[in-house]
Amino acid sequence: MIKSRLSCLPENNNPAPLLRRIEAAHFGTDRVRRRDFLMDISFRLNGELVSLTDVDPTRSVLDFLREDKGLTGTKEGCNEGDCGACSALVGDAGGVRAQNTCLMMLGHLDGRALVTVEGLAAPDGTPHPVQQALVDHHGSQCGFCTPGFAVTLAAGHLSSDHDIKTLLGGNLCRCTGYAPILRAAEAAATETSPPHLKDALEAPRPDASKEAGPACPGAVDALATLYADHPEATLIGGATEVALDVNKALKDLPFPIFLGQVREFDKIEITEDKITFGAGASIETLRRIMAGHHPGFAEMLTRFGSAQVRAAGTIGGNVANGSPIAETPPPLIALGAELHLRHRDARRNLPLEQYYVAYGQQDRRDGEFIEAVSIPRQKDRLRSYKIARRFDQDICTVLGAFNIHVNVGKVLSARIAFGGMAGVVKRAEAVERALIGRPWTRETVAAALDAFETDFAPISDLRAGADYRREVARNLLLRYWHEDQGTPVAVMGVTP
Amino acid sequence: MALDNKTDFKYIGTRPERPDGLDKVTGKARYGADAYAPGMLHGAVVRSPHAHARIVRIDASKALALDGVKAVVTRADFAQDLEGEDWNLLENTIAGEKVLYDGHAVAGVAATSALIAKDAAKLVDVEYEVLPHVTDVDAAMAEGAPVLRDGAADHSVPDGLHPNVVRYTEFGRGDVEAGFAAADLVIERSFKTEAVHQGYIEPHACLAQLGTDGKGELWCCTQGHWFVRRMCAALLGLEATQLRVTASEIGGGFGGKTTVFIDPIALALSRKSGKPVKLVMSRSEVLKASGPTASASMDVKMGMTKDGKLTAATGTFRMQGGAFPGAPMDMTTMLAFSCYELDNVHHEGFDVMTNRPKQAAYRAPGAPMGAFAVESVFDELCEGLGLDPIDARLKNAVKEGTRSSFGPKYKAVGLIETLEAAKAHPHYSAPLAENTGRGIASGYWMNWGGETSVSLAIGEDGTVQVGVGTPDIGGSRASMALMAAETIGIPYENVRVNVVDTAALGVNEPTHGSRATYASGLATIEAAREAIGKLCQRAADKWGIDVDAVEWKDGAAHPSGPNAGDFEPLSIAEIAGEMGSTGGPITGHHDASPTGFGGSFGTHIVDVHVDPETGRSTVTRYTVIQDAGKAIHPDYVEGQFQGGAAQGIGWALNEEYIYGEDGRLQNDVFLDYRIPVASDLPMIDTVIVEVPNPGHPYGVRGVGETGITPPLPAIACAVSHATGHRMTRLPMSPPRVLRAIQGKGVS
Repeated sequence: MIKSRLSCLPENNNPAPLLRRIEAAHFGTDRVRRRDFLMDISFRLNGELVSLTDVDPTRSVLDFLREDKGLTGTKEGCNEGDCGACSALVGDAGGVRAQNTCLMMLGHLDGRALVTVEGLAAPDGTPHPVQQALVDHHGSQCGFCTPGFAVTLAAGHLSSDHDIKTLLGGNLCRCTGYAPILRAAEAAATETSPPHLKDALEAPRPDASKEAGPACPGAVDALATLYADHPEATLIGGATEVALDVNKALKDLPFPIFLGQVREFDKIEITEDKITFGAGASIETLRRIMAGHHPGFAEMLTRFGSAQVRAAGTIGGNVANGSPIAETPPPLIALGAELHLRHRDARRNLPLEQYYVAYGQQDRRDGEFIEAVSIPRQKDRLRSYKIARRFDQDICTVLGAFNIHVNVGKVLSARIAFGGMAGVVKRAEAVERALIGRPWTRETVAAALDAFETDFAPISDLRAGADYRREVARNLLLRYWHEDQGTPVAVMGVTP
Repeated sequence: MALDNKTDFKYIGTRPERPDGLDKVTGKARYGADAYAPGMLHGAVVRSPHAHARIVRIDASKALALDGVKAVVTRADFAQDLEGEDWNLLENTIAGEKVLYDGHAVAGVAATSALIAKDAAKLVDVEYEVLPHVTDVDAAMAEGAPVLRDGAADHSVPDGLHPNVVRYTEFGRGDVEAGFAAADLVIERSFKTEAVHQGYIEPHACLAQLGTDGKGELWCCTQGHWFVRRMCAALLGLEATQLRVTASEIGGGFGGKTTVFIDPIALALSRKSGKPVKLVMSRSEVLKASGPTASASMDVKMGMTKDGKLTAATGTFRMQGGAFPGAPMDMTTMLAFSCYELDNVHHEGFDVMTNRPKQAAYRAPGAPMGAFAVESVFDELCEGLGLDPIDARLKNAVKEGTRSSFGPKYKAVGLIETLEAAKAHPHYSAPLAENTGRGIASGYWMNWGGETSVSLAIGEDGTVQVGVGTPDIGGSRASMALMAAETIGIPYENVRVNVVDTAALGVNEPTHGSRATYASGLATIEAAREAIGKLCQRAADKWGIDVDAVEWKDGAAHPSGPNAGDFEPLSIAEIAGEMGSTGGPITGHHDASPTGFGGSFGTHIVDVHVDPETGRSTVTRYTVIQDAGKAIHPDYVEGQFQGGAAQGIGWALNEEYIYGEDGRLQNDVFLDYRIPVASDLPMIDTVIVEVPNPGHPYGVRGVGETGITPPLPAIACAVSHATGHRMTRLPMSPPRVLRAIQGKGVS
């Protein structure tokens, strides 16, 4: 039984123990859950400081906004982070972004600032420029998705993000075909952001000198001890996966540990020989860093979930989960990434591909966690191809990553990794062997294609059949070669 | 109601802000799930995990024992003596002896919180005896297929067909064999489309209150609250007028919110618990257990001469509409060849039951599938004969006076005008990039009138309120305000249009059949005219002249004619200001079931790039050309064009219901049921063609539905041209297109 305090916020000076075990907790107007942990949290909501005591830290922020705060402008369209109708602005030390409130838990809010659609307009009622532009350009028909669009566009407006189609990849509209919304975004781009938003998005920062509590540890050492003592705990990063367990499968998380306050857990370190990402770095951060080193990786990551999901999801979460169709592991493996695992004070390093033992099974002992992921510095030869039915916010059918280095016409090294082709993300070692040491020619590539049969026996599921996966894998190697030759022309009916 | 031949419009055709614009961008607009009542309970629905099973026993004792649970309802809590469509509706709302599809409702639970209700739903113990199931339309018609319900077929079904075939139609004219013999090229192909969902972003939601005295109130998101009232009253054994239904703002419907799913359950829970009950569907429930569209298996054969004249056409359309009669095979057959003048034509339609949810309307229900098959064959004929697809269509296009393929003669219609506009559009002659194909297709929806009741009242300051009964789904309040402003001659801003509840007006059909702007618009104009007559009478009384000597223009009464006398005009505000002492309130009202609705034709041009290595298709350019009769608010007309095309793109390329071997829906979330996002679509270009509808004072034609009819064939033709392989199955998902490219077939 843990006896320390849970709160992460300095303004909460209540000396009474905040952690309590209860049979059933009643809070809000809407919930009864059996839970071990309650938490006191403070955050800024539409400019006002809100302090909550004894709340279930895994309760969805969307639910809290609508049911407790009467902020029904934030809509529930799917409750799974797929539609964006529940988007709200989140502000903290890392900046401002739009996130899906259905995937956020109250525990995520602690120490942060949240602005909902109701808070976009100025206190005198003047609509935000994106709101006025949406009205002027007839950007709503039914209007149900509109609050989410207004929020996401406001996030883009704040950061002067002009790639509106990418920005809106996580917002579904079924009425308009998007054209009037895109025109509205364009029209609002030249307007200035209303001043009240800056204050409203300023996070009430936690005092780093205070000891943070177990559900929300403030230091990696504290996390290591806590998790080793309680391997049954659930580590919660961006919650893009675990929130579904809570909201949809109605699971109780017996012991949630929020990683968002762990100092330096999202730290990036770039040295001469490697780039190291703290496990808490967001996918958006990874994308930003990779743009300068491996632009093909960054480009593929623009197709990871949506802007909202990339802002929430972490590299550690994406890698640790072990999903055979996770987006980051194939390119990371192709780059030769190494995991830095930690159990209490014991640390070990592991090539990423060795972490994936079998479907649903990883090389990670109880209470051990990923502290960081590092990538060796190298010349950029990486290409990542995500094959999915839809450009944005789709699960990949096949994801192939190729990193083939050539020296005087011969293949010096080849690291090829695939997602969606086996029960785990896996290297195409037979294909690599068929390439290494041989001339980097179409003949070599063509001869290597059959080795995919040795490497993979893909399955059929609702996304595609095994034949399709096999065919696409072969074609992607050909595409890599063609692109490398400077002829990135699609080859109709490729016949190796 | 005749066309006015008015051309000098002051307000109609302008693009003002919609009255609900600011409410929608600020989050103030209240939708189905945004209502709360004191002491309300939350509901949850127990649903079948099986595609087909007999319900052996329902034990709710554990659920009822949970703290906070206030009521559980099952089929026994609903009307017991229903027949026909009411019985079907009840059976779909809550299962009786059998569950018929994955997600079929079995019981409802009400509790003090949403979470308790969900927990309690899991505690309702239902024992099932699992039965064999069938989800594919062709499999359901085959010998030996599991029978969903014996005796469901009506008298139209010929002997010898499987009991799952519940309705049949056959009609045509001329001699198709002789027609085919006269053709220079005959093409016959089979086509298949998958079921898709309307995909409205707002899940169904309602807040219900019903007493044991049979009096109740219901707040819900719906396209038609009088339909909801009738259905709920029937299913709960109530008198229709004792139930007052208020339509919330509606977060999309596209036909899918013209019926009920959860509203009767919420009412039953309220009646049993004595408290208001709120019930909201999850996205998974929406996909599994609301009303997706039918899927289709079709054979189409058409003959054409070398110079592009169609000689004969036949079509067989097998549609599954879920576990109940009602697949839209009537519309599919009726509209399949509606674009063309045909002397020899024959249609056959089958309505087939499968273990899937009861289909509901989806934008031009039934028409897109037929158009996919027919327009694809038409395209292949043009390709085979070396004809320009627009020229060939112009040779066969229907016009005023043409006898339609389904019987009646067309009134003034605009197909030729859309084809000519398409031919003249720069898109049609733009060069094509590599691996890109261009597709052309036309489509039709005949539109609808329907029961309509509108009330208009003049305020004491001369502003105007209009009460309509058709929920505003795409800007119709703005359109009604424009028509009222035009008729009365007052500024648009001085008119406020409200969608009022069922206690305030006579029966209104839903916003469906592309009828709202036409029918409620027509009634709004007539109600305004009635009010103008009364305003003129007040002026005549004041001036002491005959009302015939008073003319209404620019929002004021003017003396008119040689003997009227010399009076200063009286404005609407001046007359309204005195109405209390001059005869009381001034109102206008109009009730009608107008039949002068004019159908709308459209022609679409689309370019699709196909990646030959992955089979992935990208729509690179899209142009919608459609006849609006008269565009009241052009932005909302264009919005309907673009929305229809966007949904058609999703249907053609990505969207599909995928049922597993176990008969369960595999893709019941938006991540797996993929509707287009911004990056999937080009900026859809639009051209509004205006061939006035002679049956509306200002020439309005409904525009909502036609736009989803051409995209399926247009995109299929574009992909076919890009790949050199004729695409006959939807969706054209990457694996399917890749197989086609590799010559491995398209199935």
